[in-house]
Amino acid sequence: MADHRPARSRQDALAQRLLEERLSRRRFLARMAALGAGVPLLAACGAAATASPTAAPTPSPAPGTAGPETAPPTAEPTPVPTPEGELFVYNYADYIGEDTIPSFEAKYGIKVTYDFFDTYETMTAKISTGNSGYDVTFATGVDVPGFLARGLVQPLDHSLIPNLVNLGAEWQDPAYDPGNAHSVPYMWWTTGFGYDTAKVDEELTSWDALWDERWKGKMAMLDDYRESFAVALIRLGYSINTTSDAELDEALALLQQQKPLLRKYTADDIGDLSSGDVWISHAWGADVAQAATERESLVYVLPAEGAIRGSDAMVLLANAPHPVAANLFINHMLDAEVSAGNTNYVYYMGPNEAAKAFIDPEILADPTLNPEKAQVAKLQEILDLGADLQKYQERWTKLRAGA
Amino acid sequence: MGRDRARDAVFLVPGLAWLVVFFAIPLGIIFVVSLGTRDQFGGVVLDNPGLGNYQRALEPDFLPTVWNSLRYAFLTTVLTIVVSYPIAYWISRHGGRHKVLLLVLVMLPFWTSWVIRTYAWMIILRDNGVVNGILTGLGILDQPLALLNTDLAVVLGMTYGFLPFAILPLYVSIDRLDPALVAAARDLYASGRAAFWHVTLPLTMPGIIAAALLTFIPAIGDFVTPDLLGGAQTVTIAKVIQTLFLSSKDWPFGAALGFLLITVTIVGTVGTLRILRREVIG
Repeated sequence: MADHRPARSRQDALAQRLLEERLSRRRFLARMAALGAGVPLLAACGAAATASPTAAPTPSPAPGTAGPETAPPTAEPTPVPTPEGELFVYNYADYIGEDTIPSFEAKYGIKVTYDFFDTYETMTAKISTGNSGYDVTFATGVDVPGFLARGLVQPLDHSLIPNLVNLGAEWQDPAYDPGNAHSVPYMWWTTGFGYDTAKVDEELTSWDALWDERWKGKMAMLDDYRESFAVALIRLGYSINTTSDAELDEALALLQQQKPLLRKYTADDIGDLSSGDVWISHAWGADVAQAATERESLVYVLPAEGAIRGSDAMVLLANAPHPVAANLFINHMLDAEVSAGNTNYVYYMGPNEAAKAFIDPEILADPTLNPEKAQVAKLQEILDLGADLQKYQERWTKLRAGA
Repeated sequence: MGRDRARDAVFLVPGLAWLVVFFAIPLGIIFVVSLGTRDQFGGVVLDNPGLGNYQRALEPDFLPTVWNSLRYAFLTTVLTIVVSYPIAYWISRHGGRHKVLLLVLVMLPFWTSWVIRTYAWMIILRDNGVVNGILTGLGILDQPLALLNTDLAVVLGMTYGFLPFAILPLYVSIDRLDPALVAAARDLYASGRAAFWHVTLPLTMPGIIAAALLTFIPAIGDFVTPDLLGGAQTVTIAKVIQTLFLSSKDWPFGAALGFLLITVTIVGTVGTLRILRREVIG
């Protein structure tokens, strides 16, 4: 307790003041420490997140059952150049096989730092600076030309990536990246919605379910403005890549109607569906399959009125500090067994033809994870709209900020 | 003495330098950015600087989020002080030998990441979480309560997070109170409650005000807790700013909103301190 007797000398006064103030300084230091601890609350904090496609002028190939002629499942570059000792990879969470990184590290002795981003926009914001410190990241395929135009990616060294031959024929030379000069496809996916059949006692087949008052407070939409607007535009019968202000205003109105019924806009559809907090969620197909490993009553639906498809691609960033290691990593990901390992773990289908020999046959046979080529061709792909993206972004801000 | 004062003024330098380098200059940068417009890729274009973003910020679209921010910050502050005061009082009056240990325990949560602690709240509050598990397990409820993704969850999470910010200044203020004053009040036939109301409370008001400010100001800017514990309807102005920077890539507009938020907070704080000057000095 502080000493309240009158100070007898300047020293006493000083001592008294120090005693009284000691805790104030402690409080100040504690506060500074707390602010330091509280600052890095940005996105990259663990929460799972999943693919969120954005844009590009030309669509990626419709995946399907293509040419069976492939090279041997695994090929190594010869001679192996000396890779750097480290590699920095930036990817979505829950989007790689369990053994992929360890097997790479063991094979080449390269230490891999594998970081997550929760939303696609966080990643694009980070790499836009040009000096993110990362070597490899996963961009939506149709975005690659845009990244190239902005100087964010550099050409791959195909001499280090002999496993390219493993790609299915339709992925070998995609329209968005001729000759796979700057990217290698990673996985392709569809976006529909998932729901818990144990909680929802009827069969849902249409996007209308996400506007149904009966499930108020139990639904979620993806925290991704292109994906969410796409759902509204599909319901209205417009193109999901429209740039018409009138059509976008209608879509905004529809989403604003929906907002009071939603529990949240989620970046973690897997977590929400598997925890049971959300009964119906706008979600990526393979994510629903992952959530279903924890909650078996979950089911994925590709509504008949339309849905989305897309693909992600690995790119080598422009100022990558470890380009050789990065190219070797991309080659490793194209290895048939590694690629199959990824698919078997996260349920997303890859573009790797040779991997099909090693993929779990249940996944190959599952129509929600590996739909028929004809069905996939009917899905729409989210394309890069360049300057018109602002129209979506402004309306998204309005949607999120409004009541 | 002039020379002493000038010599002691040198102690201000580190604090002032910190303030200038890490606050004043970044604030200036934010202001400059807010005068620009965005380009196609989310960069900042400063060809035609103007106050257009500020006009946009004052549009009614954003009023619900401003209201949410104010509401959460206010409720959090009140709840935090109500919970912190008894704790600080007890530590001061009855902590005895263990006072330092108790204070360390109060600050211990800061050794864990804020986000992880907020995640713990998610686990506690969600439909299949601890609270609902207990309530349904005991048969009190049939269906789980939707606790997570509500205003309640946000305020609870924020209160929990800001408790140490409030306990410490309250502790200091209560500790300085001379118990002889309270004893004197009791001697003059005041009841315990009257003594508290007329003696303790007014004399610890500086601590309460400090605690309130230390809670309210960060609470207004907190976007993590409303984001993780809140839902679609609990959007705060801080979250809108985050959305503008990361998703919508409209940095100039986000900067304008941020600058407004900071300015209003500073003005409010300084204003409050002036009005309550008498109470603050004690």
